[in-house]
Amino acid sequence: MIRHLFTLIWNRKRSNFLLIAEIVLSFFVLFVVSSMLVYNYYNYRQPLGYEYQNVWELNLDPGADTIAYRQKLQLVVQRLKASKGVVNVSKTNSNTPFSFSNMNGHLYYQHKQSPLIDNYDVEDDFRDVLKLNVVEGRWFDRRDAASTRKPLVINSAMKNAMFPGEKAVGKIFTDEKGTTEWQVVGVVDKYRASSDFAEDVPVSFRRRPLEDEVAAKSFSYEIPVLLVRVQPGSGAVLEQQLIKEITNVTKTWSVTVSSLEQNRTAKLKVVVTPFLALGMVCGFLILNVTLGLFGVLWYNINQRKAEIGIRRALGATGNAIGSQFLGEMLVVTTLGVVVGLVLAMQFPLLGVFSVASTVYFQAMIVATLLIFSLTAICAWQPSRIAAAIQPAVSLREE
Amino acid sequence: MLLSYLKIAWKVLLRRKFFTFISLFGISFTLMVLLVVVAMVDHFKGAHAPESQIERIAFISFTRQDFKDGGAMNTPPSPYFINKYVRAMKTPEKIAMFSQFHGTPSYVGNTKLEFDLRFTDNVFWEIFNFNFLEGKPYNANDLRDANRVVVITETTAKQYFGTARGVVGREIEVDQRKFRVIGVVSDVGIIRYNSYAEVWAPMTTSKADIRKPVIEGDYYAALLAPEGTDIAALDAEYQQILKRVSIPNPDITKLHSHADGLMATITRQLLGRGSDESNHLTKFYVFAFGLALLFMLLPALNLVNINLSRIMERSSEIGVRKAFGATDGTLIGQFLIENIFLTLLGGLLGLGLAFVALQLLSDSNFISYAQFTLNLRVFAWAMLATVFFGVLSGVYPAFKMSRVQPVQALKGGTN
Repeated sequence: MIRHLFTLIWNRKRSNFLLIAEIVLSFFVLFVVSSMLVYNYYNYRQPLGYEYQNVWELNLDPGADTIAYRQKLQLVVQRLKASKGVVNVSKTNSNTPFSFSNMNGHLYYQHKQSPLIDNYDVEDDFRDVLKLNVVEGRWFDRRDAASTRKPLVINSAMKNAMFPGEKAVGKIFTDEKGTTEWQVVGVVDKYRASSDFAEDVPVSFRRRPLEDEVAAKSFSYEIPVLLVRVQPGSGAVLEQQLIKEITNVTKTWSVTVSSLEQNRTAKLKVVVTPFLALGMVCGFLILNVTLGLFGVLWYNINQRKAEIGIRRALGATGNAIGSQFLGEMLVVTTLGVVVGLVLAMQFPLLGVFSVASTVYFQAMIVATLLIFSLTAICAWQPSRIAAAIQPAVSLREE
Repeated sequence: MLLSYLKIAWKVLLRRKFFTFISLFGISFTLMVLLVVVAMVDHFKGAHAPESQIERIAFISFTRQDFKDGGAMNTPPSPYFINKYVRAMKTPEKIAMFSQFHGTPSYVGNTKLEFDLRFTDNVFWEIFNFNFLEGKPYNANDLRDANRVVVITETTAKQYFGTARGVVGREIEVDQRKFRVIGVVSDVGIIRYNSYAEVWAPMTTSKADIRKPVIEGDYYAALLAPEGTDIAALDAEYQQILKRVSIPNPDITKLHSHADGLMATITRQLLGRGSDESNHLTKFYVFAFGLALLFMLLPALNLVNINLSRIMERSSEIGVRKAFGATDGTLIGQFLIENIFLTLLGGLLGLGLAFVALQLLSDSNFISYAQFTLNLRVFAWAMLATVFFGVLSGVYPAFKMSRVQPVQALKGGTN
């Protein structure tokens, strides 16, 4: 039966070639889209590892003012902490959750280079502001001020990458030349700061308390950012009040406020829009192909009425005719999918993007299922028409 | 002749309505997507107010400083650098400088408004032609005396004062200070990131230190080339000037920067990481064109499949024409014309769809203040794409059809 189908397809190889080309292309489009969907879905399902609700981000820009930078900053944090409606305050850098900036680099453990890690300079109160979940050891506190080595907190992804199956607390990282040393004091569970769709990448937190600030920085990425946890339900009134509080101390500094919820929405817009556009374009392409396939199959069946008539006259049932056409289409699809799979296999083999191979394999399965169901749907109705053809009618037409 | 071809094409279209629908659907949606992209690109780089002289403007948006240890720092130049070196250039007719825009909160009663604020010099208003609804821009005196005056957009005025008219002379609080409104302009799309802002103020009123002798900063320079001068001439002079720059930071080994047209500033950053060799504009266009082609490939293939079916259905007609002496060339010509007619029809539909899609996109305010429009330029591109699409999808079926033997064709056979 299958061999027979292949012969039939081979006899019409010219027109089938175009069909197969179309299916290969559609498969590839589906594969690319499902890879992205699978990848992002996995990331999206993981917890963020912190609570962004009721946290505000205050950007302070000293501008030309370089006088008493640390004192002003300390006073601002003190005043904010004392304000009614404010739960806690922590200074950090511009790479706050959902921001568009990040800092990264490598650490070394016994001269072994770590994967690329995201670095965050934080204070002791950072954990309480974002409610991070410490799973091993402890978070930074006053004790770290006196420690000989610089304290470091990493996340589980970093721990699994560098010390699989071991305890991370107590391990000592160095920089490339081995001149600076960091000792791990704790491990937090997850910290996916970039967006809801961010991968769970290795992360390190470095302690940078306010006392260590020296002078105003000239680069925009080093201007101080304060994360403030406020009481639930706080609004513009508190916001204005906080800005007033700050400008009372700093006079000329520029202050901007946004909530992490706002930032999240803004980031989502940027992250999701390309996917949405791509998804819509691909959806349209596939719909186009589906309609086209349907039309072509329908036409083919009309062309082969004589053949169908003879088969019916010789005793084939309507179902047998229907399944022949469905079978032919499925064989053509299989040929297309095989070529498409060979193309798609190049992605995990060559490692074009740094994405786990399982994502690609799952995407291949999804794309294969989709394309088979699409062609089956397209072939079903024309097959039914073929099955319903009366032998007498079709033979007379000849 | 042509008329009868078109008549036949029309009759064929009406004969198999389902096939016609599939073809038109494919063509019109493909073109709609292409048109929306073209309209967005046009909105981004076309000559619209305020950047109506965009063809003559070169921007200095980035400087790259190479460190001794192999690292590099990519930032916009500082106002000090622009003042000292860029202002010394002879070729440009006018030189303007302006900061990047930053969001700054304002409060009206208990509501918070967020405005994008940009600091500029007075030449900014001469290089870019803003549409002033009221008042005027600030001048050299305002700049010298650091007068606290601002130009605001229509929407800003509506949001802050509740009205867009008669607000000149009133006070507005931005950047935690009070400014006097001196002019009101029409809204500018955020995509035109060189001119866009919601509030513009003289750069001398900025809190930042604009005299700090460093190279990195957050200012851009816009150079207006004299009429008939190529932008490349500006970059040539700028490169000569860069050679004389004394770099204050001893860790820096080399300074790279270019005066490029709008698109080139982006492609040089995006594809070349601020490199000197080339602005990668050609590479970018080739890449974009390839992507568009790839996108058109699937619908075209689909159309080829459908066209093949349709044409073979008419094999008896082809047989008759061949028997009466029509050459392959005439037949190919006829079917190409028919196909182009079909695609043009689809193109018109696509134009309509694109118009609706762009209206929806503009109204949704998804991209702040973006007004996407279909103009003559976009229309011309659409027609070009349509004809290209028509030829692409018509050639193979027409060729295949012309090869059919008349005897077989008359019998109604296909293969």
